[in-house]
Amino acid sequence: MAYRWGMAVDLDRCTGCEACVTACHAENNIPTVGAGQAARGRAMHWIRVERYYEGDFPDVRVKFRPVLCQHCDAAPCEAVCPTYASHQSEDGLNAQVYNRCIGTRYCGNACMYNVRFFNFFNPEWEKPLNLQLNPDVSIRSVGVMEKCTFCVQRIKAAKVLIKSENRDLKDGELQPACAQACPTTALVFGDLNDPESRVARLSHSPRGTKLLEDLGAEPKVTYLQKQAWYEPDAH
Amino acid sequence: MDRRHFIKLTAITGTTAALTACGNPENQVIRFIPEEDIVPGVAVWKPSICPLCQAGCGVLARVMEGEAEVFRNGQPGVIRMGLVKKLEGNPADPISQGKLCARGQAAVQVTYHPDRLGSPQRRVGERGSGQFKPISWDEAIAELVGTLDALAAAGDQGALAFLTRPRRGRRLDLVAQLLARFGAKPPVAYELFSDDVLRRANAMSFGSHQLPTLDLEHTRYLINFGADFLGTWNSAVAQSVAYGRMRQGQGGLRGKFVHVEPRLSQTGANADEFVAIKPGTEGVLALGLAHVIMVAGIRQGSAAGRAGAVIEGWSAGLADYTPDKVEQRTGVKAAKVERLAKEFASHLPAVALVAGAPLAHTNGLFNALAVNALNALVGSVGQPGGVAFAPQPSAAVVTRPLQEILAANTVPKVLLVDDVNPVFASPASWQVKDALLRVPFIASFGSFIDETSALADLILPDHSFLESWVHAAPESGSMTAVPVSAGPAMRPLYDTRSTPDVLLDVSRRLAKPISPALPNTFEELLGADTPKGVSPRTPKGVSPHTASGDGRTTGGDKPFLFAEAPRAKAEGLSVRYTDPQFDGDAAQYPYHFMPYPSQSFLDGSLAHLPWLQELPDPMTSGMWCSWVEINAQAAEKAGIHLGDLIEITSAHGSVRAPAVPSPGIAPDAVAMPVGQGHTMFTRYASGRGVNPIAILAPSVEAATRQLAWSATRVKIARVGGPDASLILFAGATRERPEETHGRGD
Repeated sequence: MAYRWGMAVDLDRCTGCEACVTACHAENNIPTVGAGQAARGRAMHWIRVERYYEGDFPDVRVKFRPVLCQHCDAAPCEAVCPTYASHQSEDGLNAQVYNRCIGTRYCGNACMYNVRFFNFFNPEWEKPLNLQLNPDVSIRSVGVMEKCTFCVQRIKAAKVLIKSENRDLKDGELQPACAQACPTTALVFGDLNDPESRVARLSHSPRGTKLLEDLGAEPKVTYLQKQAWYEPDAH
Repeated sequence: MDRRHFIKLTAITGTTAALTACGNPENQVIRFIPEEDIVPGVAVWKPSICPLCQAGCGVLARVMEGEAEVFRNGQPGVIRMGLVKKLEGNPADPISQGKLCARGQAAVQVTYHPDRLGSPQRRVGERGSGQFKPISWDEAIAELVGTLDALAAAGDQGALAFLTRPRRGRRLDLVAQLLARFGAKPPVAYELFSDDVLRRANAMSFGSHQLPTLDLEHTRYLINFGADFLGTWNSAVAQSVAYGRMRQGQGGLRGKFVHVEPRLSQTGANADEFVAIKPGTEGVLALGLAHVIMVAGIRQGSAAGRAGAVIEGWSAGLADYTPDKVEQRTGVKAAKVERLAKEFASHLPAVALVAGAPLAHTNGLFNALAVNALNALVGSVGQPGGVAFAPQPSAAVVTRPLQEILAANTVPKVLLVDDVNPVFASPASWQVKDALLRVPFIASFGSFIDETSALADLILPDHSFLESWVHAAPESGSMTAVPVSAGPAMRPLYDTRSTPDVLLDVSRRLAKPISPALPNTFEELLGADTPKGVSPRTPKGVSPHTASGDGRTTGGDKPFLFAEAPRAKAEGLSVRYTDPQFDGDAAQYPYHFMPYPSQSFLDGSLAHLPWLQELPDPMTSGMWCSWVEINAQAAEKAGIHLGDLIEITSAHGSVRAPAVPSPGIAPDAVAMPVGQGHTMFTRYASGRGVNPIAILAPSVEAATRQLAWSATRVKIARVGGPDASLILFAGATRERPEETHGRGD
C-alpha cells in the first residue's frame, strides 16, 4: 500500500523552544537572509512557532503552535500553479518541483497557512558557511518558491534502504529533522495509512483538530489541543 | 607511524606533487590529496559533545565528503575531506536522548564561521582596536613560554591568572593542574548567569554543592520559581524530554505546572497557572506554602530535616509566613497561597524548582533555601518525581571569582583567557575592561575577536570542538550520566591548535618544565580513544568503571583531579528573610529591570551565529535585534506602542531599544533579552542591538557575592517613534481574540 505521510503536533507537549526551526534550517539548506531582508518580511522559516496570548496580566495564558506546510489533500496552492511545480505526490506530499517553478507566487497567495517562501535573491553562504550545506538537498535559486517537504530526501533514502534490505519501514524509523530534534516529542511523523502508526493513532485523538479546517483544504497535520489541568481525584 | 602522522605526511607529499604536476606558478590552487576513509555521498556519524552550555549534550555529527579550503603546514589549499554537515542528539546519550535544542543545532556554525581565526595572531593596533597580524605557532608559543619564564625567573608565578568558564570537565581540570604545578593560584571562573547561589543553597540544605537533576517524568505537581528549565537553564534538553512525558506520558495522569515569576518567560508560558509575584519575594511564597502544609497537618516540619533547620522559625511552624503576611510581601493572594499549598502537598510526587531571576537578588540564597525546604517538606528530595543529585565521579575544580583580578592591587601580570567574555557580559560599573587594560600581558585562546580577546596581546586560536578531543563531566541532567570524551569529528580547517594541547606543549617548553610531567596531548590525558561509531557515553545501566569493547574505559574517574572542592558546611546558623535591596530609588526609578538569558544567545556568547540571529524569539518573534518588553496596559497609558524607541535608564547608564508591549510582564517591570549589543564580535553580531547588562548596578547576592542581575531599578522614557530597528517574524504581537480560541479548548 502506498504511504500517506502526515504529522501530529501535540500542543500539550510543545514548549515553543524552536529546536525544530534550526533543525529545519540545518537539514534543508535554508538560507538566512540577514537583518535588512528579514525586516522586509523575507526571512524563511519552513516551520515556525506561533505564540498566542489569552487574557491580561496577571491572568494570562499562552499557547504555542508550530506551523509548517500542512500537506493538504485538497491543497489550494496546487490548483493555482500554472506549471504544476506545486503538486501532490503519490505519498500525499504537497511537493514543489523547483525546476518547474517560474515564480508567479500564486501558490504563496493561495496558501492560507503562509508557509511558502519566495527566493527574492540567490541565496548566499559566506565562505566557509557553505561547507555546512547538506548535499542531499538542492539549493533554490532566485525566483523560486520553496517550502517544507517533510524532508523528502530522508523519505527517499529510507525507501532505498528498506528496498535494499527487503523489509517494511518501521514506525518512527523515518523522521523529518524537526521531529527528530523536538525535545518534548511534540512532533510525531509517520504513515497515516498504517493504522498502528503512532501518528495515525494520535490523529484520531479526541484532542485532535486541524488548522483552519473550515476552509476545506484537508490538511494532513493534526493539532492535539493543549489540555487543562484537572484534579485527578475529582473524576 | 600512527595515523595522524601518516595524514600529515601525505598532505605534505600531496602538496609537492600537486605543485610539480601543475608546473605553473600562477596556479594558486593547491590540491591536497584526499582522505582515505570518506566515500562520496555516504554519511558517517561521529560522536561529539555540544560545548555551547554546561549541559554537555552528547551529539552525533553527520560527516560527508566535501571540498574545503584549508591550511596545511602554513599553506592554503583545497582538499576533499570529511565535513560535518549537521549535528543531532545522540540517542545513546542519557542527557540529550537523541534530541537537541536550537542552539545545539547551530553549533556547527562555530566551525564554519567566516570570521573564525585561522592562525595565531599578534596585536598590532591599540588594545581593543581588534587589529592583529597573523604569526606562526612557533613565534606564538615562544612568546608565551618567554613570558611565563620571565615570571618564574622573577619568582612571581602567583602573578599568572587563567580566566575561563566554570565548565566541569578535564579541560578545566588540566588548567587547574598546570596552574598549581606552575605555582599560580587556581583558575578564575566567570559566568554571567551563574548558578553558584543554588549550588551553595543545595550544599547547605542537602550537602550537595551541585545543581539538581529533575525527574519531571514522574512529577504530578511542579511549582517553578523562575527557572527557565525549558529554555536556557541547566540541562534544558534533558528537562524538556522529561517535561513532554510529564504532560502526556504518564498514562492519563497529567502533571500540573505552576510558574511563579514577575514575568512570563518562554518556560512560564507553558504553565497551567501563572502566579505573578513581586521580585525577590519568591522564598516568602515558598515558606508560605510550607506554613500552610504544616498547619494543615499534611506534613510535619521535622520531615524537612536539615533543609528546614537552616530556615529561621521553621521548627516553630513559620509563624511569620501566614497566608495574609505572605500576601502583603509577595502580592500573591492569601486564598491562592492556601490553595496552591494544598494542591502541592496532595499531588505527590510534587517538586518545587528555583533558579534564574529569584536567585539574582540580594537575598537570592534565602529564596533558594526556602524552596529547598519546601521540597524537603513534601519528601521530594532523592525520590522519583523529585530532585536528586547525580553522583559525581570526581570533585569540581576550585576556582576563584572574577572580582579577585579586578582590584587594582591584585592585577595579574599575565592573564590567559579561555572561552569567556567578561568585558561584554558584566556590568559597566565593574569596569572589567579597565582592569584588563592594566594587565601587562594577555593571551587569549579564542576562535573569534570579541570584546575581551580584542584586549589580548596574543591570540592562540583553539580548534573548534568538532576538530578536537573534547570532554565534559555534566553535574546534572541524568542520574546515569558519567564524564564523556569524544574524538575529532573532522580534520581541522585551519592552522589552529587544540588549547589543551597548546597548554601541555607550553608546560614542557618552560625553562623549568612543569613537574611531574603530564601526558603529551589531551588525547593521551583522556586516556581513551573512542571506537568509531560507538557512543562515547557509557550506556544506561552500565557502571562508568566498565571497560568498553577495546579494553579502554570510556568514562573516567582516574585520580587526576585537583583537591576536593570545599563544600559549604551546614553553617549552624539559620537564615532569615531580608527584603531584596534594589539599586535605584523607587520614586526616581519606578520599574524593576529584568534582563534574561536569550533563548538564542544565552549570555551573548552565541550572538555570532547567523542561524540564531535569524531565529525568531519564542515570545516576541524578534530577530537580529534588541527590544524591551513592557506591560501592554502600562504601555497604552504611557502612549508607548510597538516599535517605539524607549530609553531605559538606571543609575549606572542607559540604553535605547524598541518597545514590545506584552501582557506577560508586571506593570512595574521591564524586561530585555541579553545577548545583543556586541561592539566587536564578528560581522553578524557587531554593532547590533544593545547590551542590557551594561547598565546593571554592581549589586551582588549578599552571601555568595554573585552578581544580582535582577536587582536594578530603571526609569523609561519614550524618545521616538519606530526606528525600524525592531525586526519581527510575526505581525502584531497580539492576535485578535476570536482567533485565539481553537477547537477543543
